[in-house]
Amino acid sequence: MRRIVLPGGLFALIFVVFLWGAVLYPHSGELPSAASLEAPSADHWLGADNLGVDIYAQISRGFFNSLFTGLSAAGIAFLAGGVLGVGAGYLGGWADLAVEFLISVFLSAPQLPVMIVIGAFWGQSRLNVICIIAAFSWAPIARQVRARTMSIRRRDSLRLARSWGGGLWYLFRFHMSRDVLPLLAVGGVGVIGRAVVQESSLAFLGLSDPLAKSWGLMIARCTGFRGIYFTPYWKWWLLPPVVSLVATAVVLRMLARALEQSLLEES
Amino acid sequence: MRIKNLFLLWILTACLLSGCGGRTDAPDTPSAGEPAQTGSAYRVDTLKLAGGTDWGTPSPFLHVSRGPGQSKMRLVFASLLEKDESGDVPWLAESWSMDGLDYTFTLFAGLTFHDGHPLTTEDVAFSVEYFREHPPAANTLGAGDGFLVDHCTIVDERTITITVREATADTLSSLGSAVILPKHIWETVEDPNAFTGPDCLIGSGAYRCTAYDGAAGSYEFTAFDGWVNGTPAAERVLFVPVSDELLAFENGEIDITSMPADLADIYRNDPSIGLVEKANDSGYKMLINFEVRPEFLDLELRKAIYAALDRQSIVDNVFRGAGSVGSAGYVPPGSLFYNEDVIQYPYDPEAARAVLAERGFTVKLLIDDGADAVSIAEIVRNNLTAAGMTVEVEAVDSASRDQRVNSGDYEFAIVGNGGWGNNPPAYMRTLFSDISKYSGTSPHSMGPRGYGNEEMTRLAEAQLLETDFEARKEIFQELEYLVSQEIPLFVLGNESTYSMYRKDWYDGWMKTYAYQQAEQNRLSFMAR
Repeated sequence: MRRIVLPGGLFALIFVVFLWGAVLYPHSGELPSAASLEAPSADHWLGADNLGVDIYAQISRGFFNSLFTGLSAAGIAFLAGGVLGVGAGYLGGWADLAVEFLISVFLSAPQLPVMIVIGAFWGQSRLNVICIIAAFSWAPIARQVRARTMSIRRRDSLRLARSWGGGLWYLFRFHMSRDVLPLLAVGGVGVIGRAVVQESSLAFLGLSDPLAKSWGLMIARCTGFRGIYFTPYWKWWLLPPVVSLVATAVVLRMLARALEQSLLEES
Repeated sequence: MRIKNLFLLWILTACLLSGCGGRTDAPDTPSAGEPAQTGSAYRVDTLKLAGGTDWGTPSPFLHVSRGPGQSKMRLVFASLLEKDESGDVPWLAESWSMDGLDYTFTLFAGLTFHDGHPLTTEDVAFSVEYFREHPPAANTLGAGDGFLVDHCTIVDERTITITVREATADTLSSLGSAVILPKHIWETVEDPNAFTGPDCLIGSGAYRCTAYDGAAGSYEFTAFDGWVNGTPAAERVLFVPVSDELLAFENGEIDITSMPADLADIYRNDPSIGLVEKANDSGYKMLINFEVRPEFLDLELRKAIYAALDRQSIVDNVFRGAGSVGSAGYVPPGSLFYNEDVIQYPYDPEAARAVLAERGFTVKLLIDDGADAVSIAEIVRNNLTAAGMTVEVEAVDSASRDQRVNSGDYEFAIVGNGGWGNNPPAYMRTLFSDISKYSGTSPHSMGPRGYGNEEMTRLAEAQLLETDFEARKEIFQELEYLVSQEIPLFVLGNESTYSMYRKDWYDGWMKTYAYQQAEQNRLSFMAR
């Protein structure tokens, strides 16, 4: 578990920094509170955007929006990946073939273009973004879970329990969850990290709520500002969301990796 | 646009893999015997402008009916007259005269189409009759019962008399700006909107369209050897996709771009930079579709909405101070036709709240996904939310927004466009006359839907018949006052912008007396 301390600590730090910005920091992340494009100061730590909305408050809101999207998508992927993976691995036969086919389809489809098409088709809302991300996240989880389920299906304890009439839910709870749940958890954390980046990408491309406070949208609006690179504004308008995005994605990735490795060590 | 860039990347990859290029190449002119011109025959080899947006095939029926689409078509297709800084000037017609309802034009000698076929008055008469049956995307001649022309009389190969139904102040300009189609190609075309391919790009303009890639938003125009009225300024005019216009301008990838207001001091003091001012020429308006939301036909509500809007913050924050809150009478301050006595609607959030809060309206606001439009929408949403309304914003690409506004598929919509500084403000008729609105699909025809006003219609139509400048101005100003009183739509602000270019490379950019967008005027591309 020692491996998790560093990435876990870093994530906690990021979380606290943005929690401060969203809860204790006096300025709104939605409404203007400063002059247009005001430079960073003691009052506005990271300055303000073109409409005078405080940047620190905005990226803090963006963090929780991204995290909410990531967690929701991960939750769906966790459930779908778990149910389909266990079902396929345990039942075998036609069910397995069907799930394996679905997994192959979702793994081989080019993600971003399909996401863009679906996003453009369904319209702009956070729910759609969550669904789209989840749809492209469950397959790798399901594949791992399926493989693990197939390997433990043949265990004596499991076969005995089954012969005594244990149902699938019973078998999962008492004979499979110990092996499968950590796998699902690691997959889920990985999804959160990817979802944060994907949500920003979709927002940048204009496929989320156009006025939501999201890192991707901040980057899009800043880069759409005429002559931004020839003004000083990019330093406090563009850098904070980019740095937040990169830092959060990297830390979440580190966390998933550490979880995965400590899992390997334990087994 | 952003989405399109990605799509483009995707399509490009697909094309590379399959070994095809999604390009429509127009055929080279088979102008037999004529030697190819060298670069030295023109003032510059190439003029490069920012592309990246698909403004449609530059053919009279297929271009997007906004300035950038129309102007590309007008490079390829010539009309009888053109406008310069002070008035109408010869383009295909060398001279013209007016006598009552008769407008007589004499063409230059030796005119040809891009395929070498001679251009005669037969083609002019054919084009007029063709447009009577099939209104083009940029329609100046009217449609149906409102069609301007009664009949054409061909005097000889170079002289034609066009008899109109009613001679008005704008008739010459309307006749003069209709483009001429090659009869030998179009006489067999039944459905012009479905007519594509190289032949639909054969015009008679000073430039030929030699490449067009819609997905990339890139265009290539090449000077036409057979052009007789003056010389094109560049051998090739290119619209190239760029990611950041200002970076591209600084790197010499494009020759003209708009100057960001925040950098005005730097560029104004740069002696190598030339500027074309477009004062209050861009504007944003907010439309209500009264067919869908008839409750807003109550004038008190519209007054309250105006009071709720902090339009000065749009000017300060989005236009970066370069512009004005505009006029509730629509014609912007600074125009020759501006009425300074129109009713003002200052920002008064308390008054707005007093009227709107108890009603608890929820409205959907349709916008385009450009950075400025989104910022404006955020201000509008915050303002209306503060007044007690709930606003759901939907952002789509600009072409989809236009299409939805034109088909009435919206509740509230914000539309931005250039040309507010046009002289005369002919758009007042296509916006506010119940007879003439929606006569085209350009933003200047996006009038208030589900709203009618007899007096407004009378004034908007009457100005057209008035040929005396001062009398016409008075009618316009009366109309503006009425518009400011009745609020059929909301003016959110006017932006003053500058086009900037490098003088040492090319300094022919101009604005006409009627239209300020230098990048869209034909004469900007001619050696003068």
